Amino acid sequence: MRRPPGSTRGKSNRYIRIVGARKSRAGGRAEWRAGCGLVGVFLLAIPLLAQLPAEQKQANLASFETVWSTIRDKHWDTSPGGLDWQAIHEEYRPQVESAASTDAARALMRQMLGRLKQTHFAIFPAVMYDVLGAEGGGDGWPGFEARVLNGRVIVTDVPRKESGVKAGWEVLQANSSDLPPLVANLQADPAIHELQLERAVAARLSGPENAVRPMVFSDETGARVTRDIKLLPPRGEFSGFGNLPPQPVWFESKKFGNTAYIRFNIFLDLVHVMQEFGDAIQQCAHCDGIVIDLRGNPGGIGGMAMGMAGWLVNETGQRLGTMFMRGATLNFFINPRAEAYGGPVAILVDGSSASTSEIFAGGLKDLGRARIFGTRTAAAALPSVITRLPNGDGFQYAIANYISEGGKALEGVGVAPDVEVKLTREGLLDGHDAVMDAAFDWIRKQKESR
Amino acid sequence: MTRFIRFALLSALATVFAAAQDLPKAETILDRYVEATGGKAAYEKHSHETMTGTISIPGPGLTGSLTRYAMAPDKEYSVLQLGPLGKAESGFSNGVAWEKNAITGPRIKSGVEKEQAAREARFNAQVDWRKSFSKAETIGSESVNGEDCYKVVVTPPIGKPQTQYYSKKSGLLMKTTATAVNPMGEVMVEVEVSDYKDFDRVLYPTRSKSKMGPQQMDIVITGMNFDQAIPAEFFELPAEIKALVEKAAAK
Repeated sequence: MRRPPGSTRGKSNRYIRIVGARKSRAGGRAEWRAGCGLVGVFLLAIPLLAQLPAEQKQANLASFETVWSTIRDKHWDTSPGGLDWQAIHEEYRPQVESAASTDAARALMRQMLGRLKQTHFAIFPAVMYDVLGAEGGGDGWPGFEARVLNGRVIVTDVPRKESGVKAGWEVLQANSSDLPPLVANLQADPAIHELQLERAVAARLSGPENAVRPMVFSDETGARVTRDIKLLPPRGEFSGFGNLPPQPVWFESKKFGNTAYIRFNIFLDLVHVMQEFGDAIQQCAHCDGIVIDLRGNPGGIGGMAMGMAGWLVNETGQRLGTMFMRGATLNFFINPRAEAYGGPVAILVDGSSASTSEIFAGGLKDLGRARIFGTRTAAAALPSVITRLPNGDGFQYAIANYISEGGKALEGVGVAPDVEVKLTREGLLDGHDAVMDAAFDWIRKQKESR
Repeated sequence: MTRFIRFALLSALATVFAAAQDLPKAETILDRYVEATGGKAAYEKHSHETMTGTISIPGPGLTGSLTRYAMAPDKEYSVLQLGPLGKAESGFSNGVAWEKNAITGPRIKSGVEKEQAAREARFNAQVDWRKSFSKAETIGSESVNGEDCYKVVVTPPIGKPQTQYYSKKSGLLMKTTATAVNPMGEVMVEVEVSDYKDFDRVLYPTRSKSKMGPQQMDIVITGMNFDQAIPAEFFELPAEIKALVEKAAAK
């Protein structure tokens, strides 16, 4: 599979969020300044040390204005967070103007965004792009999937068997990175979410197609095993959406006994994925149940959740939830298909199921149409934009609020599973996916109870 | 002092009254539009039309094409190809308003949404605006992109009123604000039109800029054909829609 000519690597920073405010260097400098206040030489030197180059100061001020005016113009509420946003400007601009460092200016802008008390509003230093967004430098993948389970990177599925790697093995080293310390560092920061952690790990497992990368594993016996992994062309076909760079999209559906299992990696490639989803449902008119696996699915085109729900809901007048934007309120309505499936539906989720995945799972849960298995979702349902500020920092802002049909905001809360089940290394080594097992058990019991 | 205030108020009232007196009746403005764009006879020379154009939604960076087929008195079929969203069709025929797209599948419109579709399907609706709107009222003047305009509120028998802005100088429509209704909700839409061009002696705006909430959509009309025969099947209901109609009738 080849990426379309002229396209860029399909990677979105959509889910990068703010990292916790670090201790500001400016704050430290101010303390030091106070301590030396009586020493003349330092009194002379300090103003020089505290002085930001005029250019940087200007860039910080321009960044502040960008952040403030973006919220003023694009927040779904004309009084963002119920605040007097103009008064916020008057309060913070002089402080940013006199900030002694970029860190201090950033801290002030974060403080200003914090007043909104809403998620998806963040400023993160450029360095975070490197930590969270590091890539293996290509689209190649190792032929296996891995997740962080209990702080360890564990192989969860091996769709391509060439490497000899098995489900349940722990990945210790990839792309010259020692993964356990990387995971430990990222997990130590409470602001880093599971979705970001998984992305950072996935980046270490990828690289140029056909490149051979030595990777170190701990196998089922605990022995250290090194394998030369040839990175394979990505699964599926590249598909973009407007300004969103093309990304590989794959869809699979199969049957286990008389239960259908549907999985796709992202809500993109609308025409094909919607068609395949509809076909899979229609082929399963007499199935005992349907399992839809959204684990690791970061979302995509929101409307696809409505369309897919139409294959699973028979009643008219239903909706998944409501999205509130500046000047528009959009209902995620469901148009029931003539051939909609009426049997049991199980949806599998985890901390990397985000955005459209959450809208779909949360909405069907609220309607009582699906039972949710796995772990709490990413709590990142809002459509947000990430731009670079004049000072080089990243700025993320949400352009809508979303309330699920049950009346709850998914943002910052996520979808709680009806049945909480965690994947375990032991289970995987034993050939079991505990989350899938739970869903299939439930469907079997539903059949028995009918 | 109070006397002066009273006089001032009287003077203000007189100004308002004079301004209201100066405003032409909505009927005059709407009829003038028909004349300014070619006249009733030129419009009624045609009984069908095929319109082609391009569409772009700059926010997400989507572009596509659109084709609209219309036939007197009230048949309409439109096809929109919008990049990764695929093909979206809609139509109005034999009293059924429908749409079909890759996301939601086939659907029959009802209520206000159906009325809206019926109004839009009415051939030469500009000429017969009295059939579309039960009330029309001039409520003031306002500038649209530097052009002094009359502000006319037209109200359909079913649905919300819309405001239209007609150039005082040319009589041409410059802008419309309306509430678009669909199952996703009611959205305020602002449509500015421009670049009027002559198509067989009728002037049509060939550019529109629409704002719906935070979204903007631009349409450019590239062709308008009145001679090309439109296959009758274009106005037939698609099989899935027919099935839905039959299902609804059976209930």
